[in-house]
Amino acid sequence: MKKTVQIKRAGSVLLFVLPALIPLFVFWIYPIFRSVWISFTDWDFMTPTYHIVFFKNYISLFKDSRFYNALWNTLIFTIGTLVPTIVIGLGLAVLLQKPFIGSGIVKFILFSPWITPTVAISIVWTWIFQPNDGLANMVLSFFGLPALKWISSSQTAMLSVIIVTVWKSMGYAMIFYLSALEKVPEELYEASALDGAGKWGQFFAVTIPSISPTTFFLMIITMVNSLQAYDQIQILTQGGPSGSTRTLLYMYYQLGFQEFKMGQATAVAVVMIFITVLLSLIQFYASKKWVHY
Amino acid sequence: MVKKYTIRDGIDAVIKWFILLVAGVFTAFPFVWMMVSALKTKAEIMNTNAFLPEKPQWDNFATILFESPIPKYIVNSLWISLVIVAIQLVTGAMLAYAIVFMKFRGQHLLFGIIMATYMLPVAATYIPSYIILAHRGLLNTYTGLIISSTVSIFGIFLLRQAFMQVPDGMVEAAKIDGASHFRILGHVVYPMTKSSFITFGLMSFISTYNNYMWPSLITNDSSKYMVSQGLRSFFIEGGAYGTEWALVMAASAVIVLPLLILFAFAQKWFINGIGGDTGMKG
Repeated sequence: MKKTVQIKRAGSVLLFVLPALIPLFVFWIYPIFRSVWISFTDWDFMTPTYHIVFFKNYISLFKDSRFYNALWNTLIFTIGTLVPTIVIGLGLAVLLQKPFIGSGIVKFILFSPWITPTVAISIVWTWIFQPNDGLANMVLSFFGLPALKWISSSQTAMLSVIIVTVWKSMGYAMIFYLSALEKVPEELYEASALDGAGKWGQFFAVTIPSISPTTFFLMIITMVNSLQAYDQIQILTQGGPSGSTRTLLYMYYQLGFQEFKMGQATAVAVVMIFITVLLSLIQFYASKKWVHY
Repeated sequence: MVKKYTIRDGIDAVIKWFILLVAGVFTAFPFVWMMVSALKTKAEIMNTNAFLPEKPQWDNFATILFESPIPKYIVNSLWISLVIVAIQLVTGAMLAYAIVFMKFRGQHLLFGIIMATYMLPVAATYIPSYIILAHRGLLNTYTGLIISSTVSIFGIFLLRQAFMQVPDGMVEAAKIDGASHFRILGHVVYPMTKSSFITFGLMSFISTYNNYMWPSLITNDSSKYMVSQGLRSFFIEGGAYGTEWALVMAASAVIVLPLLILFAFAQKWFINGIGGDTGMKG
């Protein structure tokens, strides 16, 4: 009797778990391990045979200046996106914290880039960044500044990609901060006002520490997103000019889906997985240490 | 307590309005520019002196709507996304239900695995996933696209968070009454967590509808493109990389505007979903 109940219970657990677990396993977990395996081979996708080459893909990767260039670009892109997104997102949230007439519309406008397809808006930005008749240079000349070549020059291409990414993500950060600011207890502000703190004093002594979990969460999310940015790079620059916007993910795409060097591509993927795991561990330990809950 | 308004407060207000104005203009301008450019003639596009078109060229929109493949891409994206969202809601709700309300061995391990997958760069799975679909002959098919997107890890998190707010007593009472798990999920848990289902549905819809990299890797038959891939190919071929900016902008507008309208009506659900119960501590 007890056994049949157990079997029935196990059956219903499986029934509820498997519809999500099977695809999760087939398209997420297995591919991760499979990628690690492919990275030890010289497979080229076209031929069915391959050889196990052990660490050869990694060694050639670590000798390749393109790899270090991509790693550096990823770092620049990540920091260049992270800092403005967080600072502007927080600034806007503070300004919009108290509702006023029209604040709903302002929030709507600031958040709207996040829901529109990155491909569509990147095409619009490509047009804005045109060196001769683009809007960006019209604005610069309006302020008497010299024109830039934007996405056509390796000097400014990364800056252009960062501008588009920050444009898209700052409203998203703002929404997170708005809900975090709401949860800061009013007493903390009152107490610090009694201590004679001004607005800025309160901001640094009360607001910043109270919302640190959100800041931390946004930092990790932005880093993970930066590591995975593809759409805007593909439309705006295709990794160029001369590799100046080729990030690790874009290098992975080029090696795997343009050059069909599956072994080398998956080696880049493994490096990306490694970086993500490292970030997760940092998040896990650091959030215990510095973040004030 | 009566607050006295000083000159300082006035200056603060002006600065605040100025910053919000600059941020708002910076954010809205690409959309405005898209619309304005979509209504220009070829000659006006090249003329950098005039901001507005002399006479709005609504024909550009007619061309996109009736003579381009863009509407086809929108329809493709629309129904693929709806199917994927429907499946993700079901698989996500069932898994979240099992994690929160059922007791079984390996429960914590299961949740740990799902949590670990959340952070992983999804692109790292693309080569093996591509091979799996290729072996089954599912490249270039909607089936391949749909079965490779049946789970949303974000959604599982969102629903798990919502389900944990449901009082245990209600679920226990339903169990004692002899209700099946499906009944409890549908009639007890779902009505109490409806808002999270809506948020999950909308967020997942937007991200599937806009998705670019994965669909473009596994689809090369242009009649099966979703909007992002379709718009890009229109940009490169039809728009000939900049010779037809007005049409490219009109095509972008046709794709972007319905989403902005959807968002205007559903704003509350997005904002709750992001800022509220996303499973983050805050």
